[in-house]
Amino acid sequence: MSAEKLTTLEGAAGLVRDGDTVAILNMATQAAPMALVRELIRQGRRDLGVVCLVGGISVDWLAAAGAMNRLIGAAVSMEQFGLCQRYRKAVEAGAIRVEELSETALNARLGAGARNLPFLPTRGLIGTDLIDLNDNLLMLDDPFGGPSVVACKALVPDVALVHAHKADRFGNIGYEPTALWPDLGIMPKAATTVIVTAEEIVDSEVLRANPDRTVLPGFMVDAVVETHFGAHPTSFSPRYGYDTAMHLEWVGAARDDEAVAEFLERYVTGPADHAAYLETVGGAQRQAALENWEQT
Amino acid sequence: MSDWRNSPPAEDWTIDELMIARLADCFADGDQACNGMASFVPVSAFWLARLTHAPDLVWLAGAVGLEPRPDRVPASTLEAPLWRDSIMYVEQYGDFWNFALNGRWLTKFCVGAAQLDRYGNGNNSVIGADYHNPRVRLPGTAGLGDMGSIDKALYYWNPNHNPRSLVDKVDFVSCAGYLGGGSERADAGLEGGPELVITNLCVLDFHPDTRHMQVASLHPGVTFEQVQEATGFELPAPEGPIPTTAVPTAEQVRLIRDVIDPDNMRRREFGG
Repeated sequence: MSAEKLTTLEGAAGLVRDGDTVAILNMATQAAPMALVRELIRQGRRDLGVVCLVGGISVDWLAAAGAMNRLIGAAVSMEQFGLCQRYRKAVEAGAIRVEELSETALNARLGAGARNLPFLPTRGLIGTDLIDLNDNLLMLDDPFGGPSVVACKALVPDVALVHAHKADRFGNIGYEPTALWPDLGIMPKAATTVIVTAEEIVDSEVLRANPDRTVLPGFMVDAVVETHFGAHPTSFSPRYGYDTAMHLEWVGAARDDEAVAEFLERYVTGPADHAAYLETVGGAQRQAALENWEQT
Repeated sequence: MSDWRNSPPAEDWTIDELMIARLADCFADGDQACNGMASFVPVSAFWLARLTHAPDLVWLAGAVGLEPRPDRVPASTLEAPLWRDSIMYVEQYGDFWNFALNGRWLTKFCVGAAQLDRYGNGNNSVIGADYHNPRVRLPGTAGLGDMGSIDKALYYWNPNHNPRSLVDKVDFVSCAGYLGGGSERADAGLEGGPELVITNLCVLDFHPDTRHMQVASLHPGVTFEQVQEATGFELPAPEGPIPTTAVPTAEQVRLIRDVIDPDNMRRREFGG
């Protein structure tokens, strides 16, 4: 009998400790495990190192709340909503240190972590300024006599946070027909602890009906939480689009310290739980609009 | 396929349409093209090429959706509406970079960078001298740090040609161009490199020996002096008359306005 992995957002976020390196699977406006991100802020987590391919509003809120002090990733941007201004301010003030990697270098670091190798090489980054200032990257001669490569030191995040469509109570994770998010193929596999929020907890029989859509096996998942609209305000294809209005509200608030504090109180620390958060951001009516990918 | 070949030059073209048509010209049947985020000009260019001279240009939308059929350019070039009706989803770790690193495919790549220097090095990392205490933290290298180093032909697009975006030397190299010029790129073991820079004022290419950026054509009504004024380094003086960039045809303009991007998303890249 497999172990049950079902827990609450509070319990799942409690697996993350101050100072942990936390891999967040998301893109600029896509698929971020936002309910977990909010819960980490609510619990007052500090000194987190965030690993992401492309961070968006998840990173900006963590930076705004003072929850993180380092970032390992390829980019941070909310695309059409612009740069993440609180992250940017924190980096410019020296409060967040950035280890900037190209996509293949991040993949190589995580790939080495997942496979218990000291490093994996890439041909990316050669000629850039990103190699010399990074102790985790080193030019390496090809032992077979070919061109030099960049050795990328193994990265094992303490925790990976993933949002998914479906999970059973044993932690098997199923995706609905949609593009697979960048890094789903490697990021959770490199991490020591994996926490998944899922739109729906389903019977295992539902996953057995389409095993080709199971993307993570229960044995490597430590906690699952049912979290309807758990990626809001980012998109979660095919279920719902990103919340344009909320991104714009955040962009407006991010200009000013007081407005940031009010925003975080209203949406992040204020609501008693995830259900209360969903009511605060517009409830069922708002959800229906986002399910239609309406852009307002 | 529309009758674009016999279409007369447009009379009411705008600069975004000229840049899109010029960039579309760089892609042919047999090429594969992919786009990243906030890439309205490249996305429109790939689409225009597919509707005109390159119907078999392969497009990997957002580096995710193969051969998509979006109904128009959406507000994001990295979200699901762009890769509607794809024939295949390409996973990043297992698929995309295998294709991109292989050398046979995706041999051309469009780059948008906050800073670009005289030797075609790009910067999307930091403005300022100290990386860890930057004056401005930019989004980060993302895929550029790879694409500059893996033998791709790079096509830069810059809708805001000014001395802050075209600089003498980038504050930080996050996309490898011709490095210090001459043979430096080749000496570092890198093939490919920057091919063209398409801006709102002109088209620039790179001298085959010095690898220094030079004006290849001026957009209609723009003078060399205006380009020099808007550029943060000295451009080589032209040896003769500089060609004028071809304006888009009436049919190309119609396709951009009515079919590809009726919501004018492409205009969002201009005036920044």
